[in-house]
Amino acid sequence: MKGARPGGILAALLAGFLALFQVDRLPGQVAADLARERTEWEDWLRTAPTSPFAALAQRPIGSGITLGPSDTDVPLAGVALTRVTEESEGVYLQSGGEKRILPRNRGTPLGNYLLRLTGPSRQSTLAVYGKPTGVQAPTYFPYDRSLVFTASLNPPARPGPQRLLTLEGVVVDAVAAGSVVVPLGAEKASLQVMRIPDPDSGESDLMIYFRDQTNGDGSYPAGRFVLLIPAGGGNYRLDFNRARNPFCAYSTVYACPAPWPGNTIAAPVRAGEQYHGSSGSGN
Amino acid sequence: MWLAALLAILGTGTDSSPSGWWMAGLDLAGGQLRFAIAIEKAKAGFSGRLCNGSDCQPLSRVEVRGDSVVFEMGDYAATISATLRGDSLIGSYRNVGSRGPRVIPFRAAKGRWPAGPAGDSLLGRWDATFIQDWQTSPRVFVLRNGKAGLEGTIISNSGDYGLFWGQVSADSFALSHFDGSFVYLLTGRLRGDTLRGTFHAGLRTQTPWIAVRSTGAPHLTPPSQVIAADTAAPFRFSFPDVNGVTLDQSDPRFAGKVLVVDIFGTWCPTCHDAAPTLVQLYRDYHPKGLEMVGLAYEVSGDPATDGKLVGRYQEKFGIPFPLLLAGTNDPDAAAASQPQLKGPIAFPTTLFLGRDGRVRLVHAGFYGPATGAQHDRLVTEFREEIERLLKEK
Repeated sequence: MKGARPGGILAALLAGFLALFQVDRLPGQVAADLARERTEWEDWLRTAPTSPFAALAQRPIGSGITLGPSDTDVPLAGVALTRVTEESEGVYLQSGGEKRILPRNRGTPLGNYLLRLTGPSRQSTLAVYGKPTGVQAPTYFPYDRSLVFTASLNPPARPGPQRLLTLEGVVVDAVAAGSVVVPLGAEKASLQVMRIPDPDSGESDLMIYFRDQTNGDGSYPAGRFVLLIPAGGGNYRLDFNRARNPFCAYSTVYACPAPWPGNTIAAPVRAGEQYHGSSGSGN
Repeated sequence: MWLAALLAILGTGTDSSPSGWWMAGLDLAGGQLRFAIAIEKAKAGFSGRLCNGSDCQPLSRVEVRGDSVVFEMGDYAATISATLRGDSLIGSYRNVGSRGPRVIPFRAAKGRWPAGPAGDSLLGRWDATFIQDWQTSPRVFVLRNGKAGLEGTIISNSGDYGLFWGQVSADSFALSHFDGSFVYLLTGRLRGDTLRGTFHAGLRTQTPWIAVRSTGAPHLTPPSQVIAADTAAPFRFSFPDVNGVTLDQSDPRFAGKVLVVDIFGTWCPTCHDAAPTLVQLYRDYHPKGLEMVGLAYEVSGDPATDGKLVGRYQEKFGIPFPLLLAGTNDPDAAAASQPQLKGPIAFPTTLFLGRDGRVRLVHAGFYGPATGAQHDRLVTEFREEIERLLKEK
């Protein structure tokens, strides 16, 4: 960047020097980036108002949900009886004589809690958050450089939109983005890739939800997610060291997505996030 | 030991002020998204602006503590945290998402980005095709030389993406748009008479595109075809204003008048672009029989919160016609509240109603001033439609 003076150059030198320590822990610059991402992810789990460790409930609106007193669907201390119902114009929050619409994909405070409505209409899901508690840091298999691949996308067998559950257990209209082939197992594994929109930012992720031979034996039984990262020239980096658990691994509040058909790898993928039982993913 | 020595040397470089202009950038895969930050010493602390070329918006907060600098873009719950070392800032842009953090490396150096103009071979209007997931979708690029160098916008069927700004190097260009929430970078290269490149949205979304010079033939779906309306019956609405007083189409003020209905949201940048044009049209044609009403679709759904935002919007643009709280910007809810409109509602959408109250024209989206001639043409079309309707008996 033009205009950098000695202070800036020295700061860059320091950043590089500190990065060496990360490289010491895991081989290569890619692994250093991975260590940084994991730290950011753990910080987010500890502090974000929408962290799965802050989730108290997540359920479809269906014929309606009651919040507040102890005999309601979702008891919330200090909150008066509140009904959440879905009508043709949207989802409404009703308490006392007040009725107001609940916005989608935004946090709405309710007393000391946060409500967040997601999903398409008539399949709306309400999540209720408190403060993050009992956060257990994720643990990971040792870094395995052999489980980092570069792949290109093949056309999807069934193009177009498909409705599915995201890693946070919410219905979303995804788009079939194609498939990638990775040399794992006796036969190469062909993995279906979906483009999952992010309503917060207008961006989208290319995501693979896969199962492998470690499921239930070191990794989460229902499977894990991994993203395709653009690598230029129409290629993508598929790094199984970045595989993550769905939110249902952190909290039983969340619905677990069903495994995507065909995305089973006939080999153990000993990389990425581990799972140590229902008490959480940490040790 | 040499870490200590290095830190000692760095200590000499920290005696600096954050005040002034900064050449800022977010490091995306495939290129740097460039923007500028201007920091000023205020009575208490600092204030700042985030600029895409000549378009600057205030930062909601600038916090400086020692060598730690934090810029907050409150509307979008986003922050840039950086460490000040001499004349450079190094840190991260962070936005708290629902699936995990969005974190992008940030760098800045004191000074102004160079503002070099682009050659004629790049300037003008281009018909682009975005290619994603084995499907294509049309866009139009409008590129021109502005006060701060190359600028322009991307237009889709429902409106434009706001002002982009950037640099040219030989036959390549990079145009950025960063407002705290949307992280857009358009990179491209001219080969022969064809532009090819990539549209980056954040760190992980990359969409290849190809573009050729516009021939003048329609490339986008005309906005009036995006949404259809029930034209058989008068258009009906009934919503409260910010004071809770309900206003509907049968109010005497609208009787026998030509009515323009502006469907908007205070959260929508393109709606902000459209507001001054609508105010001007109102001033020009109200004495001849034009009325306007704004239907606001806000984020919170809480009348008190939304009322404040809409009141502020009305004051900011000096809007002389009523603005009503019509609902939230949830696409399904907005569509359900307007049963006489068919198709997803774009923001903004402008309805032109004849003196009999029936919809004559629906225009989805708005071409803001960033689109140059496209904007001028649209304003002319709006004027012609209003004049045509005013002549009807």
